[in-house]
Amino acid sequence: MNARERLAAVVALQKPDRVLVAPLLDHYAATYSGYTNAEIMFDGRKRIAAVIKTATELGPWDMTFLADTANATLLQMGVPIPIKLPGRDLPANATHQFHETEFLTPDDYALLQRKGMIRFMMDVMARLKPEWKGLRGFVPLTKTMLEYRCHAKMVKSRGMEVAVGFVHPGVLYEWFSLGRGMTAMSTDTFKRRDAILAAGKVWAKGMADLAILASRFVGVPRVFIGQSRASPEFISRRNFETLVLPDLEYTVNRLVAAGITPIIHSDTNWTKFFEVFLRFPARKCILELDGRSDIFKAKEILGDHMCIMGDVPATLLATGTRDEVLAYCRRLIETVGKGGGFILSSGCSLPNNAKGENVRALYEAVEKWGWYS
Amino acid sequence: MSNDMNGLVKALADLDEGGVETLVRESLSQGMAPEAIITELSAGMAEVGERFRQEEYFLTELIYSGDIFKNAMTVLKPLCKTAADAKTRGVVVMGTVQGDIHDLGKNIVVTLLECAGFTVVDIGVDAPAQRFVEAVAQSQAVLVGMSMLLTTAFDAARETIAAFTQANLRDKVKIMIGGSVTTDAVCQDMGADFWGRDATAAVDIAREVCQ
Repeated sequence: MNARERLAAVVALQKPDRVLVAPLLDHYAATYSGYTNAEIMFDGRKRIAAVIKTATELGPWDMTFLADTANATLLQMGVPIPIKLPGRDLPANATHQFHETEFLTPDDYALLQRKGMIRFMMDVMARLKPEWKGLRGFVPLTKTMLEYRCHAKMVKSRGMEVAVGFVHPGVLYEWFSLGRGMTAMSTDTFKRRDAILAAGKVWAKGMADLAILASRFVGVPRVFIGQSRASPEFISRRNFETLVLPDLEYTVNRLVAAGITPIIHSDTNWTKFFEVFLRFPARKCILELDGRSDIFKAKEILGDHMCIMGDVPATLLATGTRDEVLAYCRRLIETVGKGGGFILSSGCSLPNNAKGENVRALYEAVEKWGWYS
Repeated sequence: MSNDMNGLVKALADLDEGGVETLVRESLSQGMAPEAIITELSAGMAEVGERFRQEEYFLTELIYSGDIFKNAMTVLKPLCKTAADAKTRGVVVMGTVQGDIHDLGKNIVVTLLECAGFTVVDIGVDAPAQRFVEAVAQSQAVLVGMSMLLTTAFDAARETIAAFTQANLRDKVKIMIGGSVTTDAVCQDMGADFWGRDATAAVDIAREVCQ
């Protein structure tokens, strides 16, 4: 099997020839390749060179991300708060960091409904970066999309799959949690429920339209959907089912209907909500976990329903030994990978200071224990 | 507590923001001492904490209750005859270590500690070792919380602990770490005293240290 066939098999919950390996790569590409973080964030050629070098030499991996979250333009277009960037606000080798403030206001719920998703996003971008005001915002957007498509082709020509053709920032509750800040969003959860619900529908439709369009343009039929602050660490089941799930379900269904596989990237601990994911279309989605959810429980509950991806913890990759990483990977492969439906990956991004031998151990574990007889 | 809660305790426990505002105002107009009202609000926060432990409430409820509590305190604190700090359960210095500007986790812990009756000296994010040391020296805190969300922040945390040793303060202060990348093994490796798995664990640690 090649990487594409392997991937198609695990998403359909069929047994491939072996477990796929696909760590979530962003800043670590710079570490491994000898670039600074600033270089790969601002220079697309260095970024793709670093991605290909890392994914090839530490594998070859079946699938890789294009270091989407180490792309300064993409981040600044998609994140509704100021970002501190290496080489600009931080030392050249630092990881970018979000400066969480109450950037979006309560009026932004109404503004989103009035303007629609695209024009609202342009408005927010211009507030953060005035030189992108109005139609000028389309210049970096167009350049980035063209570059992304080109990079996807470069990766595919080397026999690897590209993880996603578009990074969907999540349902409105997620995006506004970042833009409003968690304290204000907690208040909104109780005092502005109608606004969240109404704006959420506009956001969900607009973002799904954009995700489908962009992933088709890039030529990668998978879309990343980010989620963290709608998890049971933050909100109750009742609030999740009221304020989040309808928009998430709409998004997943729209993508699946368009022939796109959602990669539901779920940071923090989602274990208590695993049953909810049974509502999503069977054998059409990938659930990606970051090491805080119980991935073994996910296999029990969702193993017959959706592909599971994860979850070698960042701390283990940065501070553990190669043998410890191998042992954890083996456990994942032999339990979560049992019968198929599993992609071995890092728990969220590979950390900046991961040890090379530990990252390499993911591929080694798959070679040693990941073949299905 | 649920069956015999008085109005103010219940209003806060039920996250009834308008009810709390009204009852605080009415209690003051009826001549109730601000300190007594604060005691009732604290009981309401304790009930919120209990509901959190029972998984009836989640972080959004905790944060919102903290917001309601703080709003009430802005009215009550200036009216107190004694400094509110006199009733503090203890002083805790909280910060995100140098090189890391994530403040969400730290802020949640700060809110919970304040609501639990601790005085918190929040030194912010990207805090150098010396800022932690100076904050402890000035506040006489007995507990320090170091938050981090990046594995690359581990070295800064180690340096901060070393700075306490160099300042001859290490045996006078307990150090807890927290954040999604931290583990008990990381805690032991860097020589901290406690690992707060989550925000409520941090409050339990503070209670243990300050009892």
